[in-house]
Amino acid sequence: MTVEDWFRHDRLPHIFCAGCGNGSIINSTLEAVDSLNWKVDETVFVSGIGCSSRAPGYIVTDSLHTTHGRALAFATGVKMANHDLNVVVFTGDGDLSAIGGNHFIHACRRNIDLTVICMNNQIYGMTGGQGSPCTPTGALSTTTPYGMDEPAFDLCDLATAAGANFVSRWTSYHVRELTRSIKLGLQKPGLSFIEVMVQCPTNYGRRNRLRDVEAMVSKMRDHALLKEKYDRLVAERKPIPEGSFVVGTLTDRNLPALGVRR
Amino acid sequence: MKLVIDDVRCKGCNLCVMVCPYHIFQEGRRPNRRGVFVPELDRPERCTNCRLSQLYKRRLCGVCQTICPDQAIKWVPEAKHEPHKVVIEY
Amino acid sequence: MTRVDFMQGNIASAEGALAAGCRFFAGYPITPSSEVAEHMARRLPKVGGRFIQMEDEIASMAAVIGGAWTGVRSMTATSGPGFSLMMENIGYAAFTETPCVVVNIQRGGPSTGQPTLAAQGDMLQCRFGSHGDYSTIALAPSSVQEMFDLTVKSFNLADRFRAPAFLMADEIIGHLRERVEFPDTVECTPPRPIREGMLPFEPEEDLVPGFTPFGHGHRVHVTGLTHNEKGYPASTDPDLHERLVMRLIEKVERARHEIADYDIENPDAEVVFISYGVPTRSVRQALLDAPEGLYGHLNLRIVWPFPENLLKKFPNARVFLVPELNMGQMAREIVRHCDQPVISLPRLGGELHTPQYLLDRAEEYR
Repeated sequence: MTVEDWFRHDRLPHIFCAGCGNGSIINSTLEAVDSLNWKVDETVFVSGIGCSSRAPGYIVTDSLHTTHGRALAFATGVKMANHDLNVVVFTGDGDLSAIGGNHFIHACRRNIDLTVICMNNQIYGMTGGQGSPCTPTGALSTTTPYGMDEPAFDLCDLATAAGANFVSRWTSYHVRELTRSIKLGLQKPGLSFIEVMVQCPTNYGRRNRLRDVEAMVSKMRDHALLKEKYDRLVAERKPIPEGSFVVGTLTDRNLPALGVRR
Repeated sequence: MKLVIDDVRCKGCNLCVMVCPYHIFQEGRRPNRRGVFVPELDRPERCTNCRLSQLYKRRLCGVCQTICPDQAIKWVPEAKHEPHKVVIEY
Repeated sequence: MTRVDFMQGNIASAEGALAAGCRFFAGYPITPSSEVAEHMARRLPKVGGRFIQMEDEIASMAAVIGGAWTGVRSMTATSGPGFSLMMENIGYAAFTETPCVVVNIQRGGPSTGQPTLAAQGDMLQCRFGSHGDYSTIALAPSSVQEMFDLTVKSFNLADRFRAPAFLMADEIIGHLRERVEFPDTVECTPPRPIREGMLPFEPEEDLVPGFTPFGHGHRVHVTGLTHNEKGYPASTDPDLHERLVMRLIEKVERARHEIADYDIENPDAEVVFISYGVPTRSVRQALLDAPEGLYGHLNLRIVWPFPENLLKKFPNARVFLVPELNMGQMAREIVRHCDQPVISLPRLGGELHTPQYLLDRAEEYR
């Protein structure tokens, strides 16, 4: 099989806006899945509601597009009822950390054998650009017209603290690294959480002086700070550049996991 | 192999322009029928994958294909190259 | 040989589920239904099934739907407050035609209400609770034996119609201990598999599409958006949406007479009690206490879809008396279908109508 064979070609082109990085993340995921030689009929993609959650509809496997925030709960049901299925969850920052926050921390605590790919565009894209729990402080959105005055969630720290076995963060620009990271996550027994920072030129960039795709992607690229470099800076007690976020494998451990295929 | 952009799927985001190490993709200058500025290809035969994928039997580089959010970039087999017969008359 | 036991209604329901082949249970503790979950937690691992306690009822219902889509018979059990939380995903189950069973051991509401006392206050919620139009199947047991039998039946109906089925019991039946006979085998009719060449959501003659569980090569896309017969989202097509919703309602509603499950006593009576669930027990006693043949009784075991033609089985009926542990929720439905006066006999607070009370009220209309 090739990556092309994993798409439902009768549904493409997809509904994502021009310049949206969700499509890149689907490519990376399918490349990783394909490189592991997973079988189409043993793989299930699950999602909730939002831009990110449209992804499973473009993938040829069995797929479950569920209610807002509940993707992880549905996926838990699928995985618990049949350990032999490989279950991958696509979710977004609002879906996962706001309405689905409780399901998220409990899925991490159970360390259930799922791979969760969170497309973090820092905004509610599908409903028209409202602020989400991951909207950075000061950023403008339709519900934070004077700037976000709440601090944002660090989803990777949350997943690590709650007990996930594998946690990493990349961006939709770093597709090669992301593919490698997703591959590691797919192979890892237990919950693998991969947060992907993704550009949303339509609803985030437009309101935050990042009008075109290139500006958004460049900003993401330039502010991504490799985990190894971050650790070095901390060890050397040097300042961490303003506005940067850490990318790389943040947690990799082997706690007991639930629902692992035997 | 030949590099092609599917202009039905392309939405003109120009991410391929950003990532190609050979700068093969150039920003489109003319809108197509759907109003999308599909990037233009500048000497695509320079592409690593075009040149070497058949030799190595796998995809090489391919960053443009992976990053293309609209699944619009692919390589198609070229018509087999047949050397021209040149008849030299003495 | 049938096995006879003496047990609680909640446990009988769990045993019924196991007998029906339920192999996945996701739940959240809530009085007065917790014994169902406890018994499933004890028994499921021993029969090769899986039990999971979720973080809330929203997640329980979600996990049950996820489990059901792998082709495993799946169930959850809850009570009023949890049932309210499940509503979102019950709508999802109805719309995506997911066969699953929800046991609701009803308690006094609204809100936290009376956790340890009985009520029948969720009868309309189980039919209309989620947003949008759909139809569901609800069964009402009035004895511990029926807790067992109707749980089995719920699974068969859920699978046949590919719709969520509700076992609407209440605290009294849930915690009542009675003699139960377990048959050696129970009738188990799995969902009809999809026929070759059919699309995953293409209805057959009976308006129910063949089931396409995950992991069997059907490659089905299941979405809560309005979807076409392929299962692909098409949420802006008005005709498609209308057709789909009408079919979801019609597939259940048009079978309402065929699947009706009821008892009739004294069909020639002029004053007729209609009951379902635990008030049936009071009515039965009242009929025993009254002179022979004076009052009629219709006991419904399948409440939704409501089989309105049963009202015609009482040709001499002048008045219908409907004792319920709520403010007349099913009485509203009965009023819609008959010309006679329908007298609702509500009882709130957790205690049953006494047979004497029923007789006194019936006397007024004799």
